[in-house]
Amino acid sequence: MSNAIETHGLRYRAGKTFEIRDLALNVPTGSVYGFLGPNGSGKTTTIRLLLGMLRRVSGTIRVLDGSVPRDIVHVLARVGYVPERPHLYPSLTVAEALRFHGAFFSRWDGHWADELRSGFGLDQDAKLSRLSKGEMGKLLVLVALAQRPDLLILDEPTDGLDPVVRRDVLAAVLEYVSRARATVFISSHLVHELERICDWVGVMDRGQLVAELPMQTFKNGIKRLRVRNAPADVGETPFVVLAREPGNGIAGESWVVRGWDASMHQYFTAIGAAVHAVDDLDLEDGFVELLRASRAPTA
Amino acid sequence: MFRQMLYTQLKWSLIALAALVVAGFAIPVLSVQQAGAVASAGSNAGPLLVAVQSWGVAYPVLAGVVGLIAALTAWTHDHRGNHVYALSLPVARWRYALLRFVAGASLVIPVAVAVWIGGLAAGSASTIPSGLHAYPTALALRFVLTTLVAYAAFFAIASGTSRTAAWVLGVIGAAVVIQVVLSAAGVHAPFLPDAVGRLYTWPGPFQLFTGRWMLINV
Repeated sequence: MSNAIETHGLRYRAGKTFEIRDLALNVPTGSVYGFLGPNGSGKTTTIRLLLGMLRRVSGTIRVLDGSVPRDIVHVLARVGYVPERPHLYPSLTVAEALRFHGAFFSRWDGHWADELRSGFGLDQDAKLSRLSKGEMGKLLVLVALAQRPDLLILDEPTDGLDPVVRRDVLAAVLEYVSRARATVFISSHLVHELERICDWVGVMDRGQLVAELPMQTFKNGIKRLRVRNAPADVGETPFVVLAREPGNGIAGESWVVRGWDASMHQYFTAIGAAVHAVDDLDLEDGFVELLRASRAPTA
Repeated sequence: MFRQMLYTQLKWSLIALAALVVAGFAIPVLSVQQAGAVASAGSNAGPLLVAVQSWGVAYPVLAGVVGLIAALTAWTHDHRGNHVYALSLPVARWRYALLRFVAGASLVIPVAVAVWIGGLAAGSASTIPSGLHAYPTALALRFVLTTLVAYAAFFAIASGTSRTAAWVLGVIGAAVVIQVVLSAAGVHAPFLPDAVGRLYTWPGPFQLFTGRWMLINV
């Protein structure tokens, strides 16, 4: 499977405190890739690097088989981008903004843009500065979709929108993706939102990619185990221990692990321990545990 | 693409542009009106030339204002959005800047046309003493060139970040302070007046601003 986005050893530095380190992203073509991370983890910076808006210190970036920044003009012609904050000129009306934007994209579908505009209930004579947050969110998605892009890069596209608008926006994106077989790279800190729509997930924290795996693996692979009689030193485990919390004598310890499957009960038998409960963690809990594990000081 | 750039540029500067067009038309008309009053008071060409010349300073000032407004409107909206929109469009950066530059430069045309028409109207509506002639076309052409020079300078400054602007102002401020300190210390090193002189005398880029701007001359 080819990748719509690939980065290797990507490094970027902003000031003295923030750094993107050795970022290796692999976004499969045709996937809906959720880019998760807490605020300030480097999601927007990564997106700006992918779009050639920031200059990397080292590493390589390939987007839609083009090298960034060398082929950036050709890459941007095939990418629909919804930034974190509205970027269209606020002094224009909706119709003017669509005309302006469409003039730059050879694949711009004016007819569909009009259909989407009516579908979203946007008044073409309304000034952008007067649009509500929800209307602006719809317009941003509209202009990105009407470009008929091969890749949609959405940076917190539904942040601050009410549930109805959020649903409209995501429905329009998913409908386009299913029809055009486009790739979606969507960043968010709203874990539950991504859980519903993504088939891949990448987790950023403090400028580093902490995990990148299929959503199904992420959801199924992270479990909370109740373990009794576990020795302090458990040696090498067949799964990744994200957290190990002491419990009382009855409940036993609580382990949060990644990469669990049922056959691994034998491991506990071998070390003289026993697992008496295996709980599924939802994506948000898994996300939190993953971040907690990545932030834990290494011995 | 360029049409849309031009459209946004026009939209952003429409009110200012209308005022500048009125000013561009009014300056030659008013200058000749005043000169006409002087000429009718006495039949001598000298006072008339002095009256026309006294209005001459208005043209380079207007050219500077047009250049400044065109340059500011070219970049203000992109600056506000930290250039995210411009950078997300599939256009090479040099080409985007060129499109913005040309769109902004085209704002010079209506003001220059207003100066030209104002000059033509003023010249034809007044009685010019023999030996003197009106030069509305030459004046308008000079106005266009001067405005473009001003626009280019302001466009270059406005295209930079606020940090760049701070650096430019800082360097100018430091030069002024050093010059004042040297003068106070009795050291004869007029580098600042020399530098300014070089900019405003041929082949300095701002030479167009200086000299006599005469609608009516011998």
